[in-house]
Amino acid sequence: MKKIILITLLLVSISGFSQYHTTYDWSNTPIIHEITSDESKESSIAILKKEIVEFSQSKITNDLAVFETTHNIIRVNDEAGIARHTQIYIPMNRVNKIVSLKARTINKDGKVIDLDENNIKQIENVDEYGDFQIFAIEGAEIDSEIEVLYTLKKDYSPFGSETLQTDYTIQRAEMVFITNNLLGQIKTYNTDQEFERTYLDNMLVEELVISNILPVATEDYAATDANKIYAAYQCFGNPDLTQDDLWSNTVGNVASNFFPEKTSKIVIEEIKNNIMKDEPIDISDYKKAALIDNYVKSNYNVVENNNPQLEEIEFILQNRTASNYGILKAYAHFLKAFDIEYEIVVTSNRYTHRFDPEFYNPSALREFLIYLPVLKQYISPDRLDYRLSEAPANILGNYGVFIKKDMDYYFAKVSQNDPEFSRVQRVMDISFTDDFDKVIVDESQEYTGHWSILYRALMTYYTGQDKADVEDQLTGSGIEDKHTTKFEVENPEMNQTEYNLPYIVNSTIESSALIEEAGDSYIFKLGTIIGVQSELYQEKERANPIEMQYPNQYNYTITVDIPEGYTLEGLESLEIHKELVVDGKKLCYWKSDYTLKDNLLIITIEEAYKVNDFPKEEYEGFRNVINAASDFNKAALLFMAE
Amino acid sequence: MKKILLFILLISQIIIGQTIDYSTEDYYYIRRTKHLKIAMDKEKISIENDVLEQTKFNSSNKLFYANENIYTDSFTEITDIEAFTIIPSTHKKMKVDHFETKDQVGGSVFYSDSKVINFVFPAVTKGAETILTYKEHINEPHFSSTFAFGSGVPIQESVYSVEVDNTIELGFSTFNFDGFDINFEKKENRKTTIYTWKANDVKEFEQSSNSLSMLKYLPHVIIYIKSYEVKNKKYPIYNHLDDLYAWNASLNKQIEKSDLSEVYQIAEDLTKNALTEGEKTKAIFNWVQKNINYVAFEYGMGGLIPRDAAKVCNKRYGDCKDMANLLYEMLNHVGIDAHHTWIGSRNKPYSHAEIPTGKVYDHMITAAFINGNIVFLDATDNYVPYGMPSAFIQGKEGMVGISDTEYKIVTVPEQVKEKNTTFIKTTITLDEDILKASQKRTMRGYEMVDFVYDVKFAKDDKTDEQYLSTKLAIGNNKTKYTNIDLGDLTAHDASYSISYDIEINNYIKKFGSKIFLNLNLEKPLSKDIIKIDTQIYGKEINHKYIRNYETTFEIPDGYTLKSIPKDISNQQEDYGYSFTFTKKENQLIANKQIYLNTLAMQNDEFEAYNNFIKSLIKAYKKSIVLEKI
Repeated sequence: MKKIILITLLLVSISGFSQYHTTYDWSNTPIIHEITSDESKESSIAILKKEIVEFSQSKITNDLAVFETTHNIIRVNDEAGIARHTQIYIPMNRVNKIVSLKARTINKDGKVIDLDENNIKQIENVDEYGDFQIFAIEGAEIDSEIEVLYTLKKDYSPFGSETLQTDYTIQRAEMVFITNNLLGQIKTYNTDQEFERTYLDNMLVEELVISNILPVATEDYAATDANKIYAAYQCFGNPDLTQDDLWSNTVGNVASNFFPEKTSKIVIEEIKNNIMKDEPIDISDYKKAALIDNYVKSNYNVVENNNPQLEEIEFILQNRTASNYGILKAYAHFLKAFDIEYEIVVTSNRYTHRFDPEFYNPSALREFLIYLPVLKQYISPDRLDYRLSEAPANILGNYGVFIKKDMDYYFAKVSQNDPEFSRVQRVMDISFTDDFDKVIVDESQEYTGHWSILYRALMTYYTGQDKADVEDQLTGSGIEDKHTTKFEVENPEMNQTEYNLPYIVNSTIESSALIEEAGDSYIFKLGTIIGVQSELYQEKERANPIEMQYPNQYNYTITVDIPEGYTLEGLESLEIHKELVVDGKKLCYWKSDYTLKDNLLIITIEEAYKVNDFPKEEYEGFRNVINAASDFNKAALLFMAE
Repeated sequence: MKKILLFILLISQIIIGQTIDYSTEDYYYIRRTKHLKIAMDKEKISIENDVLEQTKFNSSNKLFYANENIYTDSFTEITDIEAFTIIPSTHKKMKVDHFETKDQVGGSVFYSDSKVINFVFPAVTKGAETILTYKEHINEPHFSSTFAFGSGVPIQESVYSVEVDNTIELGFSTFNFDGFDINFEKKENRKTTIYTWKANDVKEFEQSSNSLSMLKYLPHVIIYIKSYEVKNKKYPIYNHLDDLYAWNASLNKQIEKSDLSEVYQIAEDLTKNALTEGEKTKAIFNWVQKNINYVAFEYGMGGLIPRDAAKVCNKRYGDCKDMANLLYEMLNHVGIDAHHTWIGSRNKPYSHAEIPTGKVYDHMITAAFINGNIVFLDATDNYVPYGMPSAFIQGKEGMVGISDTEYKIVTVPEQVKEKNTTFIKTTITLDEDILKASQKRTMRGYEMVDFVYDVKFAKDDKTDEQYLSTKLAIGNNKTKYTNIDLGDLTAHDASYSISYDIEINNYIKKFGSKIFLNLNLEKPLSKDIIKIDTQIYGKEINHKYIRNYETTFEIPDGYTLKSIPKDISNQQEDYGYSFTFTKKENQLIANKQIYLNTLAMQNDEFEAYNNFIKSLIKAYKKSIVLEKI
């Protein structure tokens, strides 16, 4: 049992029916389809992308099975399109029979080249993906259509989902859902269109047809994959099964696995001999939980392979190796031993799925957290970078099911307890060498929250050039000839027991590229020292809701030592005020100001994003704030000899 | 033979006598040994490696190293695997009890017989040691063995020993031993001879991008069998280069040949109007380049023997050797003297003289002899113009098969910078505070190839505007692109042009009555300062090139040109630049040329190169000044 929680169901037997997929076929006289001139500019487009999901019950054995038919017709317009669509991988997960499998190429002159079945290969146990049938499309040329049609008989599972939007245009997407009188339902996401009941070959089916699906827009601050059109379905025979029943069943499974009655002896020994060896008895709950998380992450390995023992608690504790599901059991034993109250959170990565409490879809339930309600903190068991703190950025803001010991459960948003968890504070002192040859930037920075988690992990796990690239980021990216003369960090260890301890960087850099020469004056590109800032464009209407990684706040104090005998111009470019206020709440803002004191120019910047998601209607206001940083990045001062 | 066979993650550096402070390493090898036994088993050669690897976890930071893989394929059988952890607190052994075999997928090969045996050492923690032993049987004596003394993590002791029957003659070459503590010993016994290399304290070899091939740095030995004796008769394997050719030719003899009439018909149709051998060759090359899609099936001997040209043509896909063989058949049919050519990419730093074995190669192309010249044809490169080799085989030696027994060793020439050019013509005007410009870029040679590849394969779903703003980075990230014409991406011509207009809002600086404008909207190479501490293995440059910028600035009405930068140039053998400024009535014309004239830079050349880049950055810093009249 991998990440997906399987549930067991009682199934009512019903007699079988004729099967739609057995009569479905491609055209005997294939033709090249019409495409628009815009479509012909794409490397490839789908003429048809069709999925048929048909549940069926054997008349003889009453066994249930599901037949899945895929029928794709792709026009390839250039060599990139050919390269993209000629290497076919068909996943064999749960497949017990390939009912049919064929592919052909129709060339622009109408010539048809069928796939030679002998060229189909099997590959087995590919990382976590399982087995595949693979083949290369034969005879494809520019302007050909590639047609693939196959039906797989799969072991019965009451659940499934199909993504109907992809990264190329689809002229016509179709999905047919057939339950053959078994009870089932299907739901669409990210589209207004819904399945309609209709008859095909005299069979009652649910059908969805969507025309002209464009690729999901690639935009910054967007959860593109989570916004793709998809359908999730359920099919089972028990007419009394509600969504509540399904959730309760999951909760029951979770509760029986992750709330042990007794703590394992191994765990008690480990606590005595290792975790608490040098600690006083009366430490806080926060410290206890931090010690547990640190200990497990320093002694247990989370791996993915087919060894079923990775989910057995005895094996896990002996071998200190677990799957990302099994590792929760180890945590449960440690938390139980310390008598710390906890809840198991089952949820989704918000960049791939929006959690839906209304429709049980186990394929979306792939993330697990442990929530400690007393501390309002999370443990992220399979995240090496995170330690006891807030939930990881890829989950933050999604909903999840929170499961308690007594099998009680509730749905709630995975939110951040401390709104000011993530901060960046920078103090920079800037001076110049004689003749404005070089700028010297002395900087001390404090990173907290997700920032400190990120940098601690990168600087621990990276080596060589990768690590040097992180150091570059930490001293201001985009400075062409930067020379770092000092780079020191404080609190770099991954295992911390103090709440939100900052990651501190003290550095000195020199650069000549920050100063431009113009006649007898010098232009100091001051804005560059805050590093490259993203710039949001708006060529088209915003398509995706705005999602930032996490709420965060920046505070800078920049002091410039003005050399004697020079005056400054261009100070007005330093004053930028932008904010987005929605319903009276200031959701994000940029505020930069300056003061002049003797020969010192002091600039203060405050930039903050109070939430991590913004409605797309507020894109313009959000863009203004984001681009304010990019504007400041262009700020320049002119030094003129008096 | 694969498009790019080798993907090594490790590279090298080492200073002699450098000791390693193991206490600061998260993870390292205590010992890594391989014993290779080559013996006559009846009349066959048996090749077997005994492998032992002992590692130490010195901290709990990188426990993921417990996840271990052993690689295998249809020519290599792995047996007798034993793996266990020594628990630091109890010194007890804990065995690995779950091994699983996975097929390997990914990279440029679609389907192969490569597999990985994966397992996880149990209960690793700070202070744990792991031990792995296994046997590796190699069932093809033509496959030479390599042993590398370095890896991605430091190695305290690395030992390679080769025990060979005295009826077998062994050849070997060592690479990059300078600067390492590696001892060699040869011991002759009555029946066998044992060669042993022992290295101490080899630092980690860590990949850095844009480096030269790591095989130029990693200390390693390549072992091959020169010949063997059966019943007093000597049989050569790799005794001489002739034997390598004999092996190569024997592979090609196994090429399946079905009815080629369709292939011939296409070749005839393509060349019916061609007047010269060059035109014929170009027509056929461009057809294969455009119509045969790169898909690589590499399993068993299928990784070495080209496939039937008729089938490749019909299926419209193949790997490098399949395309090379199709070209060979088509060209020869129309009377062009063309030949299969075995070659190594720039990842393979070996010459035929160093190791007369298949280790020299990871690629195959076709060589056409036209009017006394050799034209190198590599149709795996979708966009390389006819007449140029693919960039990744420049400077490499190829073995051209002439007949059953004759061959030629030839070197693919490095393509001169004048063949690979970009010309950027820009007109700049000012509209109040906004800078407006129209630009046309014309590319040739590899400059064109790289750009077209990028547009075709890396643009993805980005709009033209999004794509150009990240690809070209003109001005700053507030630059807006309009009237974009991405040109004709389907033609296989000698040059390719794109054009567009740009607008930048806060690029010019206005202070009082003055306007400051930097005409270097693009600053190529300005971010190219080499980080000497981390760029340890040289620097590879894809191709030599020249970029010419001609920028015309229209001086706005009501302003006078107060100051222009001085002309400046820095022209050296391997790289250079020049900037000139010419005022013509109400226009200022800025010409800038930048060139790179080398494919490889060694570490001792970095400082001079960095100084060059710094002087270039200085040249970029100069703005012009306009003043209100």
